[in-house]
Amino acid sequence: MKKTMIALAFASALTSAAHAQDMVFTSWGGTTQDAQAAHWAAPFTEKGGPAVVQDGPTDYGKIKAMVEAGAVTWDVVDVEYDWALQAGKAGLLEPLDFTVIDKAKLDPRFVSDFAVGSFYYSFVLGWNPANFSDAKPATLADLFDTAKFPGTRTFYKWSAPGVIEAALLADGVAPEALYPLDLDRAFKKLDTIKADIIWWEGGAQSQQLLASGEAPIGFFWNGRLSALQADGMDVGISWDQNITAADALVVPKGAKNKEAAMKFIAEATSAEGQAAFAAATGYAPVNLGSADLMDPAIRATLPDAQTAVQVNADMAYWAEHRDEIGNRWYAWQAQ
Amino acid sequence: MFSAAAPRRGSGLGFAMPAILLLAAFFVIPVVFLLTRSVTEPQLGLQNYATLVGSSTYAKVFFNTFFVAGVVTLVTVLIAFPVAWALAIMPARWSAVVFAIILLSMWTNLLARTYAWMVLLQQTGLINRMLKAVGLIDQPLQLTNNLVGVTIGMVYIMLPFMILPLMGVIKKIDPAILQAAALCGATRWQALTRVLVPLATPGIASGALMVFVMSLGYFVTPSLLGGTANMMLAELIAQQVQSLVNWGMGGAAAFLLLLVTLGLYAVQLRFLDRKEAA
Repeated sequence: MKKTMIALAFASALTSAAHAQDMVFTSWGGTTQDAQAAHWAAPFTEKGGPAVVQDGPTDYGKIKAMVEAGAVTWDVVDVEYDWALQAGKAGLLEPLDFTVIDKAKLDPRFVSDFAVGSFYYSFVLGWNPANFSDAKPATLADLFDTAKFPGTRTFYKWSAPGVIEAALLADGVAPEALYPLDLDRAFKKLDTIKADIIWWEGGAQSQQLLASGEAPIGFFWNGRLSALQADGMDVGISWDQNITAADALVVPKGAKNKEAAMKFIAEATSAEGQAAFAAATGYAPVNLGSADLMDPAIRATLPDAQTAVQVNADMAYWAEHRDEIGNRWYAWQAQ
Repeated sequence: MFSAAAPRRGSGLGFAMPAILLLAAFFVIPVVFLLTRSVTEPQLGLQNYATLVGSSTYAKVFFNTFFVAGVVTLVTVLIAFPVAWALAIMPARWSAVVFAIILLSMWTNLLARTYAWMVLLQQTGLINRMLKAVGLIDQPLQLTNNLVGVTIGMVYIMLPFMILPLMGVIKKIDPAILQAAALCGATRWQALTRVLVPLATPGIASGALMVFVMSLGYFVTPSLLGGTANMMLAELIAQQVQSLVNWGMGGAAAFLLLLVTLGLYAVQLRFLDRKEAA
């Protein structure tokens, strides 16, 4: 009896000690966070790092409130890259420790003082072949052409890099002339299809809309279409003028496990971590060394095999104009 | 009598203290913080309120909020009344079963229920396919991403909140009164509109207020079943706080909603008091 008591006390002391060191990683949930837990957090803990508690979903309002209240419970957060740049400037983030994180190996498009890429993805034109048996949509202009390709189309609901760029490209703006964004022109183009738009709020919903034929054509995160294909569904993808955007890993200012957070980011952005995550999700690695570690057949399906027809959303421009575009975007939607 | 009642009232307040403290800590103080942010961010002043009141977009969002809540309340009353009446006059064993079914829906996850409606209502959904199969329609009906979708989804969720208070009131109505009405020559319709409905008014009023106020702040269902053209205030607040990290605007919108709600509540209390006094 006494022995069990001691053993119990000892065990509880052990677990509470472990709890004190646990770090918290927050992301958007779903299959993406599952892959992050399996390919970043698990190896990190196995190699002697602390246990990683998964939390979510990412909420910018919450991050700001935590930092201002001095009660930060998230150590590493997966956020949109443009928000990361803006938040870094606003003093909401810790500067990253590049003596721990090896930035020489990272794609320079996705490295900054307060954030490194988590992964990058493309917005691509996707369609359900069951609904388009004759002509196949191929360009962004087709996505906005309701005469040639009638039916409901689906777009990302939130204000973020991607849809505005697509409207301008479809309207004939050259990729190198996209920025500064001509918002008047973009909204005028979007007005032409507004009645035919259903908005998707998250990846799962976008898949449901396309697979059910509710919205037979739309503008999707490439990884979500790969996942549908992996499930055996026939999905049409056009990479023509695919628009890249990225997620970023950041450490909120005042995070309790800063040191562990930096080490976690180093592991997550390592060639191995990025390669394994990319293979699992269909998103592209931000580590330049990952390509050599991957099956060429899988690599061919990722956005980094499509750089020739790729348009890069300008994250710095978005960071600068995020609020202005956002206010206008939501006002336009509500009209 | 008076002297005996007074100390009892005082000790009641003492017993209520824990509840009052809990409300203060978890409700009043956060609301005060939010209010403070709404007049201090990005700088001191009423600019957030000026923007909210001055913009035609936000005016439309306010209108949508009250319009949708009003439609939902009306439809909920129309459906809940016969259900509550049937429950009240049913044999007890039957009513227990129906009652359990109604409660069961309340205990199911809100998101799951809303997604279920999405699957049923969408253009390629079960309802449209059935209507097409029996030849009632050629083109699928647009049942989601608009007011129809929001109303169906929200009425379904709100029904228990209307049925419960209504049932309580209807059960208390003496069936002899209806017999008396019939004996005095009232038609069934007259018995309903001149006797039953007036007697059930307190139940209808309290249920309607609850449904209306809950609908005003609803987020998940309008967001998933409504289009952006029917955007409601809760969604505006979520956009401001979560996407644009603008606590000032979000706080201002939330506070305006709270003010309106409290105002409605005050009106209702007055109205009920007067009814009871008369």
